[in-house]
Amino acid sequence: MTATLTELETLTAAKVVDARGAACPGPLLEAKKGMGTVPVGSVIEIWSTDPVTKTDIGAWSAKVGHDFLGTLVADGYDRVFVLRRK
Amino acid sequence: MTDTQKLVFMVLHGPDHPEHATIPFVMGCAALASDVEVVLGFQADGVELVRAGVADGIHAAGFPALANLLRDFRELGGSLLVCGPCINSRGIAATDLIEGAEVVAAGRFIAEITSATNSLVY
Repeated sequence: MTATLTELETLTAAKVVDARGAACPGPLLEAKKGMGTVPVGSVIEIWSTDPVTKTDIGAWSAKVGHDFLGTLVADGYDRVFVLRRK
Repeated sequence: MTDTQKLVFMVLHGPDHPEHATIPFVMGCAALASDVEVVLGFQADGVELVRAGVADGIHAAGFPALANLLRDFRELGGSLLVCGPCINSRGIAATDLIEGAEVVAAGRFIAEITSATNSLVY
């Protein structure tokens, strides 16, 4: 499941995880921690300055059973959206 | 029947090779975050990494500091197995190792590797 850019731009995440400046696997570990703090069905948003985070989080989401919704490009970082499925 | 996956990473490099020492911790943390059971097995110079205080001085370029990865690895529930003959030959006592590190011999490594989904050597 992916969302359109318009959907992502209007989406309000239940939690924002600021992993800017963190090197691999930091953003992934922060996403894992953040996911544990929101109810199933909620969306978390991960901020990362590491350009590979968006593909890494996409692979992680598929592995553990969450929905990777997509990415928005912000000012010097990526905003990565994941829907908690379990 | 369980569908739990397990990875074993054998760590053979010590502080003289920061990148080789760090990457198995990166992979191990990512695997744990992906609901995969992880064992880090330390042999040869790799045993130095679990000597108390040694990880504090290792920071490979482009990666988090090893001490932070070690902390995350333990918090996520990873296992640390250390080769007994390897620490003996280096004059390292079991009491010199970080908390949670378990000294084992070849039989335990073989049991872990043969029961794993996959094993990698660094």
